[in-house]
Amino acid sequence: MEGRVIVVTSGKGGVGKTTAVANIGCGLASRGKKVALVDADIGLRNLDIVLGLENRIVYDIVHVIEGKCRLRQALIRDKRLQTLFLMPAAQSRDKEAVQPEQMKQLTRTLAHEFDYVVIDCPAGIERGFKNAIAGADEAVIVTTPEVSAVRDADRIVGLLETQGVSGPRLVINRLRPEMVKRGDMLNVDDVIDILAIDLLGVVPDDESVITSTNKGEPVVLDGASRAGEAFRRIAARIDGEDVPFMSMEAGGFWSRLKRFIGMGM
Amino acid sequence: MFDFLSRILGGKSRPGGPGSKSLAKERLKLALACDRVDVSPQMFEGLRVDLARAVSKYVEIDEAGMKLRFDSSDRRLALVASVPVIGMRRGSEAARRSKDRR
Repeated sequence: MEGRVIVVTSGKGGVGKTTAVANIGCGLASRGKKVALVDADIGLRNLDIVLGLENRIVYDIVHVIEGKCRLRQALIRDKRLQTLFLMPAAQSRDKEAVQPEQMKQLTRTLAHEFDYVVIDCPAGIERGFKNAIAGADEAVIVTTPEVSAVRDADRIVGLLETQGVSGPRLVINRLRPEMVKRGDMLNVDDVIDILAIDLLGVVPDDESVITSTNKGEPVVLDGASRAGEAFRRIAARIDGEDVPFMSMEAGGFWSRLKRFIGMGM
Repeated sequence: MFDFLSRILGGKSRPGGPGSKSLAKERLKLALACDRVDVSPQMFEGLRVDLARAVSKYVEIDEAGMKLRFDSSDRRLALVASVPVIGMRRGSEAARRSKDRR
């Protein structure tokens, strides 16, 4: 059976696209699925270092497209998960080195062999974006609850529609429950109301994302992390499982105190 | 009580009352309305002024309380206007006014 090609995109940079791709990929592979991650950010390669695979690159996506190596030679197998592979971006080239049609062909070829092909899209809406979405069957849009990120996400929804990638689903990243609670941050309903697309998941702002990235180990593999749990659920939903959304109750000192005293009264 | 305590102890200031997110949402909605139909805020203001003028010919309105927005639920666009009416102009007056224009 043909695999699904999913592009992860956002418009704005720095909202956590690469982190989302690494975690969705690891999450799906943990479920026993065969997954190929494609770094389409040519010139600004990062998915390799987030996954902790930066020292294993010999060939990259541009080598494959230019016929300098075979597809299999460029695919790096993950150290932890046997069914997870990475197609790294080229670092010393730019986005013009690849045509949308070539990307389409490459992702189609991968889809013959893998259950999921997940593409890490570069920021922006130019050539890199057009390359990344060229072969995609579906899209995941990552945003944060900030005006700039939500506005860019809305642009992306419109552009995906005109390019024929329909039904994008939304991941809201770095939500801070205590700020939402005091009315200083857009909540999940606000963002969904504004963007009018389906929600795929909500990831709480969590320091463990940074510490795990420091180690090159996606947080989804950390059973104790809240963000990791959010990504496990996102992967499960992509994989067709109907899992409930995580409670976004603030886990800070004040909420603990309130809960404690609330119980005492 | 806890709101009170946490405000004192946590020192969380609340400039402008209900938190900054309502402002964020309002600003975003207007920005996106303009982005989606590709109109500038100036054109949007022009539309509002012209609409108020047109409606005023027939009914007396509170122009300051008038609200105009593009609604894009389901990603389909609608122009939604809410115009507070102070009173009706007399039929003859409205008719005369429209006749004057011709």
